[in-house]
Amino acid sequence: MQQHSRTFGRCIAAVFCTALLLSGCGGDEKAGADKKSKDFARQDAFPSTYSMTQSQPVLIQGATLLTGTGEQLENTDLLLKEGKIAKIGEGLKAPKDALVVDGKGKWVTPGIIDVHSHLGDYPAPAIESSQDGNEMTAPNTAEVWAEHSVWTQDPQFALALAGGVTTLQILPGSANLFGGRSVTLKNVPGRRVQDMKFPGAPYGLKMACGENPKRVYGGKGTAPSTRMGNVAGYRSAWIAASEYKEKWEKYRDNGGDEPERDLQMETLAGVLDGEILVHNHCYRGEEMAIMMDIAKEFGFQISTFHHAVEAYKVADLLAENNVCAAMWADWWGFKHEAFDMTEANIAIVDQAEACAMIHSDSAVGIQHLNEEVAKAMTAGQRAGFDIQPKDAVVWMTMNPAKALGIDEQTGSLEKGKMADVVVWSGNPFSVYSKADKVFIDGELMYDRADKARQPHSDFELGILDAEGERL
Amino acid sequence: MNGLLNKKLLVICTLIFGLATGTAQAETILIKGGKVHTLSDRGSFESADVLVVDGRVQEIGLDMNVRADRVIDARGKVVTPGVIAPVSELGLVEIGAASATNDNAVTGDSIGSSFDPLPAYNPKSTLIPFNRAGGVTRAVVFPGISLWGDSVGDPQRVFAGRGFAIKLNGDFDSVVARDVAQKAYLGEAGGQLAGGSRASAYAKIKNALEEAREYRSNRASIRRGDWREMNHSIADLEALQPLIDGEQPLLVTADRASDILWAIELAKEFSLQLVIAGAAEGWMVADQLAAAKVPVVIDAINNLPLSFSSLGARLDNAALLTKAGVTVAISGPEYASTHNVYLSRQSAGNAVASGLPYEDGLKAISANVAQIFGLEGGSLKPGAVADVVVWSGDPLEVTSYPEQVLIEGEPQSLVTRSTRLRDRYLKPEQGHGFGYKY
Repeated sequence: MQQHSRTFGRCIAAVFCTALLLSGCGGDEKAGADKKSKDFARQDAFPSTYSMTQSQPVLIQGATLLTGTGEQLENTDLLLKEGKIAKIGEGLKAPKDALVVDGKGKWVTPGIIDVHSHLGDYPAPAIESSQDGNEMTAPNTAEVWAEHSVWTQDPQFALALAGGVTTLQILPGSANLFGGRSVTLKNVPGRRVQDMKFPGAPYGLKMACGENPKRVYGGKGTAPSTRMGNVAGYRSAWIAASEYKEKWEKYRDNGGDEPERDLQMETLAGVLDGEILVHNHCYRGEEMAIMMDIAKEFGFQISTFHHAVEAYKVADLLAENNVCAAMWADWWGFKHEAFDMTEANIAIVDQAEACAMIHSDSAVGIQHLNEEVAKAMTAGQRAGFDIQPKDAVVWMTMNPAKALGIDEQTGSLEKGKMADVVVWSGNPFSVYSKADKVFIDGELMYDRADKARQPHSDFELGILDAEGERL
Repeated sequence: MNGLLNKKLLVICTLIFGLATGTAQAETILIKGGKVHTLSDRGSFESADVLVVDGRVQEIGLDMNVRADRVIDARGKVVTPGVIAPVSELGLVEIGAASATNDNAVTGDSIGSSFDPLPAYNPKSTLIPFNRAGGVTRAVVFPGISLWGDSVGDPQRVFAGRGFAIKLNGDFDSVVARDVAQKAYLGEAGGQLAGGSRASAYAKIKNALEEAREYRSNRASIRRGDWREMNHSIADLEALQPLIDGEQPLLVTADRASDILWAIELAKEFSLQLVIAGAAEGWMVADQLAAAKVPVVIDAINNLPLSFSSLGARLDNAALLTKAGVTVAISGPEYASTHNVYLSRQSAGNAVASGLPYEDGLKAISANVAQIFGLEGGSLKPGAVADVVVWSGDPLEVTSYPEQVLIEGEPQSLVTRSTRLRDRYLKPEQGHGFGYKY
C-alpha cells in the first residue's frame, strides 16, 4: 500500500543487482572496492541452481486482476512469456502454442509470498530427528544457515503451493538473540535446496526479542535471563561485528595479513554492510522501539519485525524508520507478549503508512494466507478504514517482496517481472475460493484440475497405500 | 426447504406469546427479516422473523406481526444458532506460556478420571468476551494433559478428567452442565503418556473400565474394605461409572485409522458412548464409524501429515465422514488454540469449500456439538434456548462477523480487549494521550 523508504528500497535494489559489492544503507559509496574481502554475505557459497524454462507462453483471458500495485482491473488479459509478465490489457492475442486460460469469473493475483516460514526446517511429520529449525546451543548462532537444515522433501511445500504460495523465506527459530541466516526459496520441487533458492535474493538474519531467548538461556542459568540481558547481548555482538568489519575493511584498503574468517561475524558484518536483511521476531511495541535505536547506534537497517503483535502501538515509529511489520490476522494469548492483540493490527500499521504484511509461521496458515488477509482486511474495514481487495492483496504479495528485497523481481503483476501468478476460482478473499492454477516464472507448477500437475514429495509416495496416492 | 409459516401456526404462536408475556418480565425480542438457518427440522428461510421470549425461541415465521420490546433489523443479514465449541479450555487457560494462569492440566499418579477442573473455571477470562464476539455462545470445557514437561514419563494418567459446559455470557453462574463428558487418550498421545506404546494406553483404559465394572457390582464391599485391593482410587472408579452406564460420552483422542477401530472395539465391549477427537484418518474408516454410531470432533483445517498417525490428513475429511453418515463436529483449529475457538467457522468454511454440504458445515459448529454432548442450543425452533447470532453475512465466510449475539435471549456485548486496544491506537502518535483513552 505505502511505499517503502527510498533509502531502504535503493539499498535492497543494490543488494539484489550486484550481489557482490555493496554499500551500506545510507553509507558512502566507494566504487571499485575489493569484492573478495567485502563479500561478508558469501552469497555464492551455496549458489542457487534454480532454473525454470517456460515451456509455452500463457494467456489468461478476461479475468479480474489484483495487480499488487493498488489496482483492480476487470475483464483483463494477462500474457506470460519467457517466464516474465509480458503484457496486461484487453483483447490480447494468444501467441502460437500458448496455453490459453479462460479467466471468466476468475481472479488473478501475484504469487503469494510468505516472509515467515519454517517449512523444511520443521517438516512434517514432526518427528524429533527432523526438528532442525532452532540451534538452541548459544544465544548467538548467527553462524548457522537455515538452508542447511532444509529437507526439500517436506510434503508441506506442495500444500503451500496449492494455497498459491510461490516464494517463501525459511527462517531459523526464535530461541536465540541471533538465530542465524534465512534463505528465500521459490516453491518448486528440488532435489537440493540450491535448486529452490531464489536467484540473487539477499540473505536475512533472524533475530529475536523478548520472552524466547531469555526463557531458553535464563532457564539454563546463562545470559540472557531478562529483556535487558537480551539487549546487552545484541549490543555486545554488534560491537564485535563492527570491529570485525573494520578489520576486514582495513585489510582491504591497506593490505597486510589476511584476518581470520569468522562465520558468525561474517553474517553480522553482512548486516552492517547492508547485504543481509534483519528479520526480527519481536512482539512488544517497547521492544521494537529499542531495536530500532540499536539499529541506529550501529548503523544498520531492520527490514521487518515479525509477529509484531503490538506493531499497531508503534505504527508511526515503524513508518518513520522504514521498518516493515509481518503479522498474523488474529493469533494471540499463547505468551504474555502476545496478549495485547487486535485484529486491526495489520490495517492500523498499513494506515500509518508503514509497510504491513501477513505472515504464517505455520504450515496450516501458509495454505490460507488469502483467508488470513481477508480477515485482517475486514477488521480494518470494521475499524473504519477504507481498505479494499486491491489494497489488501499487497499484504501478501508486494510488501513481503519488499521485506525480502525481491520487489524488483516479483510481488506484483507488472511488465517484466517474474511471471509468479495465481489464478483463483473467485475472489481470493472468500473462504470458498481456491488457487486453481499457480505459475512460477511462467511455468504451471500447480493445476487443481490436473493431477499430473500437482507435485508430491518423495515422502508421500507409497506412504499411506503402497500403490495409491496420499491425497 | 424454505418453510412457509401457516396461518394456524401464527395464531397459535401469537396465543402462546400472549400467555408468555402475561407471566414473565423478560424482554421479548423480534429478529426481523434475516436469512435464517434453523438447523432444525424447520429448515432454512431466505427471510424470516425469529421471536424470542423468556430466553427461548418462541417462533420462527414470515412477517410476524407481534409487539416486542426490542426489534433487531436483520434484513440482509444471516441468523443462526450460536456457535458451540466442542473442545476448549475456556476459563481454564489465560496465557498459554504463563503456567500460573493455566488450570487445565495436572500431573500425578492417578489414572486421572476423577479430575474435575470445574472449581478452576474463571468466567471473567478475557477469552470469553473475545470468542463470544466471534459468535460462540456455548462451549464444552475439557481438562487436558500436557504432552510436554512433567507429565510425560508418568505412565499412569491416560484420562484427562471431567468436562463441563458453559455459556459465554461471562456470569458467575455460566456453567450450564457439569460432568458432560470424560476425556481419554489413545493413539500416539496415549502411547506417549502410557510409557511408550499406544497398546499400553489401550490396556490402561480397558483395565480401568473393567475395574469400574467390578466396583459397580461390589461397591459396598469395596468401600468397606471387604474386597481385594483395587488398582484405581475410589474417586477414579466413581468417575468412570457414568461411562460404563452409557450415560456420559467418552471423548477419546485418536487420529490413525487403526487406532479409531480399536476405540470402536472398546466402545462395543463396554457399551460406551464413544466420541473420537482428532480422527485425522477418520475418512478411511468412515463406514465403521457410521455403523457404530460414533461421532467425531475434528480439526477440519489441519491437513498436515504432521505425524505418522495422521498421514492421511486431508481437507475433505469432514465431507467424506458426513457422506458416510458420521456425525461431525468441527473444533477450532489446534494451531490457534482455545484463544480462537471461534475460528471453527473458518475451518467449517474450508470444509464446505472441500465438499461438505453447506448446512452440514453450519451444523458441525453448532447443532452437532449440542447433539454429541447432550447440550442445549445449536438449533432454532420453538422452545429452543435463544442463543442466536445475527451475522453480517454468511457465517462461514472469513469476511463476515457477528453483529448481534443473544445468549438465552439476552443481547451480549461485543466489546473485547481487542476492540478496546484497536480504538485506543487507531492513530498511534507521539505523546501521553493514549494513556487517557478508554
